Amino acid sequence: MAEKAILYDPTRCTACRGCQAACKQWNENNEYIPTVENGVQSANWGSYENPPDLSPTTWLKMKFREIDPGGKVRWLFIRRSCMHCTDAGCVKVCPSKALYHHELGFVAYNKDLCTGCGYCIEACPFDVPRSERNIFSGIAKMDKCTLCTTPGLDRIAEGWEPACVKTCPTNALQYDDRDKLVAEGRKRVEALKAAGWTNANLYGENELGGLHVMYVLDDHPSVYALPVNPQVSAATVAWQDAIQPLGWAVGGLTILGLGLNYLVARANINREKEKKDVAGS
Amino acid sequence: MSQEVEKYSKPTRILHWAHLVSFCILFLTGLVLFIPQLGFLAQDSVTRVIHRIGAAIFIIAPLIYIPMNWGATKRGIKEAFSWGASDIGWLKAAPRYYFLGDEKDMPPQGSMNTGQRLWWLIVLVSGVVFTVTGLIMWFAKTSAPAALLQWMVFFHDVAFILAGTMLLLHIYLGLFHPLMNEAWKSIYKGNISAEYAKKHHAKWYEEVAKGREVKS
Repeated sequence: MAEKAILYDPTRCTACRGCQAACKQWNENNEYIPTVENGVQSANWGSYENPPDLSPTTWLKMKFREIDPGGKVRWLFIRRSCMHCTDAGCVKVCPSKALYHHELGFVAYNKDLCTGCGYCIEACPFDVPRSERNIFSGIAKMDKCTLCTTPGLDRIAEGWEPACVKTCPTNALQYDDRDKLVAEGRKRVEALKAAGWTNANLYGENELGGLHVMYVLDDHPSVYALPVNPQVSAATVAWQDAIQPLGWAVGGLTILGLGLNYLVARANINREKEKKDVAGS
Repeated sequence: MSQEVEKYSKPTRILHWAHLVSFCILFLTGLVLFIPQLGFLAQDSVTRVIHRIGAAIFIIAPLIYIPMNWGATKRGIKEAFSWGASDIGWLKAAPRYYFLGDEKDMPPQGSMNTGQRLWWLIVLVSGVVFTVTGLIMWFAKTSAPAALLQWMVFFHDVAFILAGTMLLLHIYLGLFHPLMNEAWKSIYKGNISAEYAKKHHAKWYEEVAKGREVKS
C-alpha cells in the first residue's frame, strides 16, 4: 500500500488552532482548563500559545515563535506533534512493541501494551512522547499522536483524513499519498524560492528515512526551532544494535556451554570413579 | 563423622541469599524488557514495581551487612583485587579440570579459587553499576537529560548481560557440576568437610589449620 503522510505548510497557517482542538475532541483528550476553581493556575507568559507544552492529553499543539531577522519581526507558527519517522527511535527502543509501524508508514501505538518504561521519550529526536509518571513507583503510560489510528477511534481505517487535517480551514494541512505530497511540497518550495525565500525547503522529505509529517518551510529549519538533521541517538543504536544482540549471543552460548560441560564432565568423572572402584576392589 | 570447618558465617550466608533472591527477582523482571512476547507481563508497570522492591532489597542488604561485618568485608574486598601468577595457572588448568575432572595441574587455592574470585569481582563491580545507573533511572527519570538516561539504560544492560550470564554459571557450578559437591553446603549450612576444603581450597585450609580467623 502506498505510504500516507501529512503535509503542513506554515506559510498558509493562521494559527487558528482548530487542529489542536479537533485532535483533542476526536481523541477524547480532555484537559483541565486553567481556572482558580480546579486549582490549575494560568499565567501570562507572553504568548498566545496555549497550552504551554505537549502533554499526555495534548498530542498536537501550535507553537508560536517570534524572531526579528534584520530588525523585521516575524511571527512564526509551527506544528508540534509526532513526525511519524521511518527510522523511528521510539519504535526501535520500545520493548513491548506497543509502538510499531502502521502499514501506511506512520508510527502507530497500542496503549494497552505500554509498560511505561519511558525509553521512547528519551529516544525521540523531536521530544514528542509524553507520560505522567509516579516517580516513586515508576507507574506510567505514554501518549502521543497516533495519526488517528487509535483503536476504536481509527479514522484512517475508515478512509477518513486525520482530525487535524479535516478541520484545517486554510488547507495548511493536507493528507494524501506520501509521494503526491512530496511532489506538492517540492512545488511549493520552488514557488517560495521564486518569491525570494532562498532557504526554502521541504522538511521531512529525507530526514530519518523520510518523515510522514512534512513541513514546507520558507526558511532554515533552525528558524522554526526544528532539529537540523535529526538522528536516532548513538546510545539507541549502540544499545539496540550492538548490546542486545550481544546479550542474546552471550546468554545462549553460556547455556549451551554449561549443558555441554555437564554432559562431558559427568561422563568423564563417572568413568574415573569406576576406574577407582575397580582399582580399590 | 568426618571433621568439618566453617566456610561462611551466618551473616554472610544471609547476605548471599538475600542478594541471590533479590537478584533473581531483578533478573526476571528485567528480562521481560528483552522479550517482546513477554511484554504483557510488564503491562501497567507491574514488573517495574516488583523490580523496585527487588532493588530495595538488593541495595539495603549489603548496607546492613557491611557495618556489622567490617572484618569480613575488608577481607572480601581485598581478595577481589588480589591477583597473581597462580591465577594464570588456574585458568590454564581449569578446562581440563571442569570437563575431564583432571586436577593434577590445578594450583592450590585460597578461600575462593580464581573463577570464584572473578565472579566475586563481577558481583562487586556490576553491583555498583546496577545501583548507580538504577537509582538515576529511578529518581531522575523526569529530571535528568534524555541522553544521560539513555546511557544509564545502556550500562545497566551491559551489567545485566555480564552478571546475568555469570550468575547462570555460578548456579550451575554450585548446584550441578559433579565435582562441586559441597559448594552448596558451604553457603547453605556454612560448613564443609575438611577433606573437601583440603582438596578445593588448600591454601585457605592451611590458614584454618593454623587457627587464623579467615572465614568469610
